[in-house]
Amino acid sequence: MTEVEPWQPRVVAFCCNWCAYAGADLAGVSRRQYSPSVRIVRVMCSSRIDAGLILQCFEKGADGVMVLGCHPGDCHYISGNQREEVRIQEVWELLDLLGIGRDRLVLRWISAAEGELFGSTVDTFVALLQSKGPLGRLPDGA
Amino acid sequence: MERDDIFRRFHAEACIGCGRCTYACVAAQRYDSFSPRKVVEQGLNGQGGERVPQLWSCTSCGACSQVCNAGVDFPRLVRGLRSLARRDEVPMAAHHGVLNAVGRLTSSPSLRPRSASWVTPDLQIDPRSRSMLFVGCVPYFDVALRYIRNDLLELPRSAVRLLNALGVRPRLDPSERCCGHDAYWAGDDALFERLARENWQAARDAGVEEIVTFCPECASAWRDLYPQVVGDTGIRVRTMAEVLAEGIAAGKLELGAGEDVVTYQDPCRLSKCVGIVEQPREVLRSLGELRDMPRSGPMSVCCGTSGWVDCDHTAKKVQVERLQEAAATGADVLVTACPKCLVHLSCADRHHASELSSRVRIEDMCVRTARRLDRERSSSDES
Repeated sequence: MTEVEPWQPRVVAFCCNWCAYAGADLAGVSRRQYSPSVRIVRVMCSSRIDAGLILQCFEKGADGVMVLGCHPGDCHYISGNQREEVRIQEVWELLDLLGIGRDRLVLRWISAAEGELFGSTVDTFVALLQSKGPLGRLPDGA
Repeated sequence: MERDDIFRRFHAEACIGCGRCTYACVAAQRYDSFSPRKVVEQGLNGQGGERVPQLWSCTSCGACSQVCNAGVDFPRLVRGLRSLARRDEVPMAAHHGVLNAVGRLTSSPSLRPRSASWVTPDLQIDPRSRSMLFVGCVPYFDVALRYIRNDLLELPRSAVRLLNALGVRPRLDPSERCCGHDAYWAGDDALFERLARENWQAARDAGVEEIVTFCPECASAWRDLYPQVVGDTGIRVRTMAEVLAEGIAAGKLELGAGEDVVTYQDPCRLSKCVGIVEQPREVLRSLGELRDMPRSGPMSVCCGTSGWVDCDHTAKKVQVERLQEAAATGADVLVTACPKCLVHLSCADRHHASELSSRVRIEDMCVRTARRLDRERSSSDES
């Protein structure tokens, strides 16, 4: 008989190509262990991520979503991360209205040199989701 | 249901090919490639292939069946074709698909939406009332469409204020779900049925006897669409237009007449689906002078898009034309009774102002009435 595996949250992490993705890469190259619950999606800029994509993640069975971009002032496209910050405020409001709760979405700035920060950010978020438990799924949700 | 059954079921065979539908159709005005007459003709002849071009641009406003001599139910025919088409094509969602996602997410039985966060302390809500205000998606609009209008929460607030003035303290469903209207017309039967059952069960378990709504789509869903899923709902559905018209006729609402000249945009669900044409006009006449546009009542023109899909510059053209028609009546204010008409027309007014020779203010019927009530009360307090 196999043991029932403990529940693991499913996390989607949207990482910007120029900073956060390179940060995640650095975490990997430096052999920094971080939670395997996270699924990284590389995007060219954090501002690519709109409310529709985030809601779609929750709809398809994510328990949490992370949007990781460059530090303010470091954006490859000058101000993409600032635009994203404005947009995430709205998504937080939507998540509260929907009963999902704003703490299931985080926005963090991680530079290409911050592999350690990437690892600890992921671990903290996954630990939070583990304490909150799974998000209710749609009957036909993945 | 297969393709041929759909054409048979909605009486397409009765079509005489007169083309009145295409003449009345907003989607045909937007796209040369879409024509209700052609869809029916090609469907009956087995031509045109499986795919109907611009199928998602139909707003299911019902203008076509309104003018049809033969009794073809074209909006439901399109709905049937959509439920087949959605197997392999996805409509282009407007506003990043946020509002479509809200419908799907709120259908999850384990989520408890908190959509009643707009309530302010001055509103009298009674959690044991038998009469419930069904709010709809406006709290979500207020977040996702704030860049178009930032006063959308005034709609539910005004509705409660007016109900309070009429002596009704409504209850709210603290975890209300989407009404499913858009899912129904997009041909998503599974989602619509799930939402209909959940909303109906929540209302029934709470002992609700009457539902009041200011959104014509919610009214149409509760009144005409839910019985298709759950049978007799046992719940009376009334729109704010009916409630207000009754209240004014009974002399329960003290509204002083104003100087403004207004015109009225008939929301398609209210005028064509639910059949309420006169009541909102009675309300507006009690507030001032009403000047109808040439295309009004059941022959009114749709605000351009519906279901949060397929919005583009052609839809804006329809809306700009409508705004010009409104301004040409000499009215200062264009009043509507549907949150979606309000958003769509405000969007055109805001983003295409340069194309408008003269502009009208765009307001909601409930908000306007509630504001007049406030003004009337404060002036009687002073005197």
